[in-house]
Amino acid sequence: MFVIVNGETRPLPEPPTLTALLISLSPKTPFAVAYNEEFVSRGDYDSCRISSGDRIDIVHPTAGG
Amino acid sequence: MTERRIDDQLVIYGRTFTSRLLLGTSRYESPSLLENAIRAADPAMLTVSLRRQVAGFSPDSGQSFWNLLRETQRTILPNTAGCLSPHEAIKTACMARELFQTNLIKLEVIGDEVSLQPDPFGLVEAANQLVRLGFQVLPYCTEDWILCRRLMDVGCQVLMPWAAPIGTGQGPRNARALRELRERASNIPLIVDAGIGLPSHACQVMEWGFDGVLLNTAVSRADDPVRMAGAFASAIKAGHSAFVAGPMVVQETAVPSTPEIGRPFATDYSTPLATAN
Repeated sequence: MFVIVNGETRPLPEPPTLTALLISLSPKTPFAVAYNEEFVSRGDYDSCRISSGDRIDIVHPTAGG
Repeated sequence: MTERRIDDQLVIYGRTFTSRLLLGTSRYESPSLLENAIRAADPAMLTVSLRRQVAGFSPDSGQSFWNLLRETQRTILPNTAGCLSPHEAIKTACMARELFQTNLIKLEVIGDEVSLQPDPFGLVEAANQLVRLGFQVLPYCTEDWILCRRLMDVGCQVLMPWAAPIGTGQGPRNARALRELRERASNIPLIVDAGIGLPSHACQVMEWGFDGVLLNTAVSRADDPVRMAGAFASAIKAGHSAFVAGPMVVQETAVPSTPEIGRPFATDYSTPLATAN
């Protein structure tokens, strides 16, 4: 049972929610999240259940033109 | 003749700016160079992006970059750089809105990965949906009048036509079309985005009546980015002042600057020269 976070395989958290995953990863703030290539707003983290093989993207501010 | 807007403030979606320079934050050698370039350029906005966090310390991303941005107290303009479809661009815009807490979005939908030319069809589709989602869209587009009209039709209140492909520094490739666009789209802010390499390029488009210039590489990859940032700031101000002042009309033949009347030793060249005997 695993999820793919930013292209890397990670164990599926327990309970299998986005909130639990983010607590285990502790990404530096600020960040935003996409679940299976769809944006998930901060208010929906608790209700976002994840399954084995799902893809999570966590993005941060970066320089841009 | 293009109507001359004499106000000295740039208005973007109801926000007013005294500066007409929008500055990219990418490809600087160090955070301190970026910080000093921002100070020298005094830009209206800073463009930024979002990416996956990379392992280890990265000076131009993450928390340190975020802190630097906040300390500048500039308006942040996130982009959708690298997006190849409307779906990607919309998703990226939504993430950017949450990350940067702004409805402003520089919309890029790239249609060709070699020239980085905007995809006009995808651009209009994405802009349409983003406007409906409450975004204030600044589309990176070409100078094509039909495309620009479609973007205005779907609710874009600013257009950002390219001068030349991103990062080339070639300056305005299609001057006639850019000037025609300025004439046709006389009531919407037009910011020339991409392809500017020299302050003279920026000055020239401002002389044509464009409302602002967005640039990145021309500053960040200069030998002295801080000095170049200041040079661009001066050039953009000069070009805008020249536009407002109203340039003289170009003449086909020479016209003496000094009055002819009363000139001593006057010779009448309109009569044939006397033949020497």
